[in-house]
Amino acid sequence: MRRRTRALVATAGLFGLALTAACGGSPGDADPDPTTDAGSDEQITLTVATFNDFGYTEELLAQYTAEHPNVVVEHVLAARAEDARANLTTNLASGGEGLSDIEAIEVDWLAELLQYPDYFADLSDPAVEGRWLESKVAAATTEDGRLLGYGTDVGPQAICYRADLFAAAGLPTERAEVAELLGGADATWDDYFEVGRQFVAASDSAWYDSAVSMYQGMINQVEFAYEEGDGTPIGLTNPAVREAYDAVLSASTDDGLSAGFEQWQEDWVAGFQNDAFATMLCPAWMQAGIEGNAAGIEGWDIADVFPGGGGNWGGSYLTVPAGGEHVEEAQALAEWLTSPETQVQAFANAGTFPSQVDAYENPDLTGAVNPFFNDAPVGEIFANRSLAVDELGFLPYKGPNYFAIHQSVQDAILRVDVTGEQNAEDSWSAAEQAVADLGL
Amino acid sequence: MSSIPVIAQSAGPGAARWAARRRRRGTGGANRRPGWVTYAILAAVLLVAAYPLYYTLQLASSDAVSIARNPIPAILPEGNLFSNIAEVLGGRVPFGKAFVNSLIISTSAAVAVVAFSTLAGFSFAKLRYRGRAPLLVFVIATMAVPTQLGIVPMFILFTELGWANNLIGVIVPAMVSAFGVFWMTQYLDQALPYELIEAARVDGASMIRTFWHVAMPAARPAAAMLGLFTFVQHWVAFFWPFIILTSNNPTLPMAVQLLQANYFTDYSLVMAGVLVTTFPLLILFVVAGRQLVSGIMAGAVKG
Amino acid sequence: MSVITPRPPTAQRPREATARRVGFRQRLGRWDVKVSPYLYISPFFILFAVVGAFPLLYTAYVSVHEWNLLGGQGDFVGLTNYGDVFAQPTFIKAIGNTFSIFALSSVPQVITAIALAAVLNANLRAKTFWRMGVLLPFIVAPVAVGLIFGRLFADDSGLVNALLTQVGMDPLGWHSDRLTSHVAIATMVNFRWTGYNTLIFLAAMQAVPQELYEAAIIDGAGRLRQFFSVTVPQLRPTIIFIIITATIGGLQIFDEPRMFDDQGLGGPSRNWMTVAMYMYDVGWGNQKNFGRAAAIAWLLFLIIIVVALVNFLISRRIATSDSPRGAARLLARGSGEAGHTPAADAGRPTSASKET
Repeated sequence: MRRRTRALVATAGLFGLALTAACGGSPGDADPDPTTDAGSDEQITLTVATFNDFGYTEELLAQYTAEHPNVVVEHVLAARAEDARANLTTNLASGGEGLSDIEAIEVDWLAELLQYPDYFADLSDPAVEGRWLESKVAAATTEDGRLLGYGTDVGPQAICYRADLFAAAGLPTERAEVAELLGGADATWDDYFEVGRQFVAASDSAWYDSAVSMYQGMINQVEFAYEEGDGTPIGLTNPAVREAYDAVLSASTDDGLSAGFEQWQEDWVAGFQNDAFATMLCPAWMQAGIEGNAAGIEGWDIADVFPGGGGNWGGSYLTVPAGGEHVEEAQALAEWLTSPETQVQAFANAGTFPSQVDAYENPDLTGAVNPFFNDAPVGEIFANRSLAVDELGFLPYKGPNYFAIHQSVQDAILRVDVTGEQNAEDSWSAAEQAVADLGL
Repeated sequence: MSSIPVIAQSAGPGAARWAARRRRRGTGGANRRPGWVTYAILAAVLLVAAYPLYYTLQLASSDAVSIARNPIPAILPEGNLFSNIAEVLGGRVPFGKAFVNSLIISTSAAVAVVAFSTLAGFSFAKLRYRGRAPLLVFVIATMAVPTQLGIVPMFILFTELGWANNLIGVIVPAMVSAFGVFWMTQYLDQALPYELIEAARVDGASMIRTFWHVAMPAARPAAAMLGLFTFVQHWVAFFWPFIILTSNNPTLPMAVQLLQANYFTDYSLVMAGVLVTTFPLLILFVVAGRQLVSGIMAGAVKG
Repeated sequence: MSVITPRPPTAQRPREATARRVGFRQRLGRWDVKVSPYLYISPFFILFAVVGAFPLLYTAYVSVHEWNLLGGQGDFVGLTNYGDVFAQPTFIKAIGNTFSIFALSSVPQVITAIALAAVLNANLRAKTFWRMGVLLPFIVAPVAVGLIFGRLFADDSGLVNALLTQVGMDPLGWHSDRLTSHVAIATMVNFRWTGYNTLIFLAAMQAVPQELYEAAIIDGAGRLRQFFSVTVPQLRPTIIFIIITATIGGLQIFDEPRMFDDQGLGGPSRNWMTVAMYMYDVGWGNQKNFGRAAAIAWLLFLIIIVVALVNFLISRRIATSDSPRGAARLLARGSGEAGHTPAADAGRPTSASKET
């Protein structure tokens, strides 16, 4: 790939090399000694590209410089994950020379990046073995055992709910009672929808915000949703897909459990202020979203329960692009940033829930409460939820075609739940057509 | 084209009434002041043109909760404008740097586009040489190249040249514009009489002298508009700067984008950022506006 | 006025232009005349080679290969990618959407702009104020336009539907109905570009010679008549200019529909996915199929060329009186040879006189 790029711009390259040499980037370039390593006194700047909020405050990064005086850490922050992804993709497609020393990626991008592991340094290292949840490491490991990224956070899901709306509908409000009401340790989706039917019978609010979100929660508990284990796409033939689709849409439209929003859209945001729905599937990072959007609303709480066992939504990794100038130093920094201690600090800064097993014993984490959610012990709750994810025993396999097929089903649900363009049956046919058109 | 009857419908009554009023007053000529109907139409247009900006002000002076609760914002701006702007400017997004970057990029682009377009326009409109018409057609055809796909090849080239994350990487592609060449060609063909060029040539002026002393002054009104348009175009451009620069070294639209986060976006802050981005252009308008309008007038008197 | 008062040509007559140096000066002059025209257009072509031609050729090369954006070049596949694109119902739908949004934006835009320019062309009080006011939307960044109109057109919580409900009408499904979504997106486009086109028309209107109006008034033409028999024909080159540029810009439309919802894919039914968005999705979205995206880019390029040509031919017929001007005339004439008066030529008379 990199060779291709060079060949293509061979003529410009000559010119370019001269320029690059003349105005090369970091101070490290000036050092004529090619054998520098992390231990030397060479002053280097490492860039770390993240998005959203990883909790990497200036103070936190300054700690690294305090421990490693020769390293300055510069943080390149994109606002939205999509922005970071477009940037990363364009950079990789162009040979990867414009990348930061450390690039953060979301778990959902792994499917395609794992196909081109050569872009990234292999980070596997005996020193970090056993640091993360098994599922977290497995998802970022290639078949031949290369580790593409160090896990930062995970998105174990619980149920967030509005205690005040529950009370008005005659449902229990205490978080332990609610967890029990929704089925406790053996909670199923049927339990969750059943309580929803009771709720909407007694309330003007809907039970949940979005059907797509529910489907996402269900399909993440299916090991091979759209592909076989070797990556062969199977379209929509897996009966579990159709079952989840039917269950979600029948609950959403026939039973009226859904508020009919598309997440992140203006209407969804407004829905938080208008008592539009009473529960949400709630990965750890969603706390910040709810707290921001529902500012001034009292009554949000979190129940330590999730239908169908555990469920993970989102979470990220730090990768080290192989073409960087300071790969070793960058790996050392990534290792430090993803250590349980640092991640617990990041969690305190931004609510990004650790993927590091040892962090779950850390009192700073286990003792964490979220005042907005009625002082819910979120550290404890999400640690439980995270272990429940690991207990599922498998990870949903997301191969190269996963998201293209998933998009078709997601669109189908939106057409029924949000825009109301089609009924469930027609929309499903349209989804099948869309998958066929992919020509996989 | 089918548009003509529609023009009659939309422009007709006002224009007709205007003509009638003129006749009543007894004199012809274009210098008569138009009546209140014209001003009423313009006021309505202005209202439509300005409301979205005012809406921005309404949201920027509000807060996230009240924005979410009230689809119809309070008519008068609320009290949070300055605190929101202060929060935006004092936050983690480097607005100061973005402002400087945008200023450098937009100014360079405007100057270069005006210079190169006027040169090319002079050549296309007034000089005779082999291949002129096909070359001009070619220039216009280049506008049809879809910009999104140029991203990867250009990015490859620019990283090789060391222009990634460098303002040069934004400025260089902005330095010429097919639109500008087309525009100046159209204008100079109309506004620059051959007699003037001939006179200069007969007097022994070189081509470049002729261009500088004859074509440039003639081009001024159109050049002013082109310069302003180009400046604005690059001030508001998002996609290419976003690809080639990083968020530590952004332009203003990138900075606005940075105010949005995935999980929760406080629109009062984003809109305050929009205001901060737009305000310098407003100032430019007020300052350059008179120049621009008199420029248009200068072109007119020529007739 | 500044136009006819450049430094008077006499003032620049070079004193040293004496007979002695004529030979050299002649040679220099001939070279000057021959090379300058190309020299003046060269900056455009040099930069275009880098930012236009190179990407275009690169794209052509990519489009005949199997090519994953991340994985890089694969096998040569000829025109397979082009065939695949046409077999995609989404592509056909995207073409329909693009033309629909284009029609809904460009037609009202051009008509409104001409009408507004005619109004602004009057001898108004506070001219600057009105003209700048019309141009106001142009300074709002597309990113901001997307944000603002995204909120205005939100289905449940937007201002527009809230107002519709208040006056007793049904709220409109801005994101659920295909045509309605096109109207909303066209509104964003029109908001930003109408004033811009108005000013371009206005500049052209101001260049219409007063005598033509005076002659028309003597002939007893009313205001309306003057507009159609004097203004519109005189505006022809500008109309052609704006129609061509609007066609090119309109068919490439990307930002506004992309920002119309959070996913940027044209909604769950791809109701407002345009060709440029489709290209981006195929290349950068889940498929990362750069080869196919390149084929789409080329198809879009060809479509634009064809439509721009058709529009040019149509708009050439807008008015029949008066000869076309400017680039339009050049284009119309092809080689540009026909109908040239000797005086209407800058380079040649002088050089010819020197050559003989």
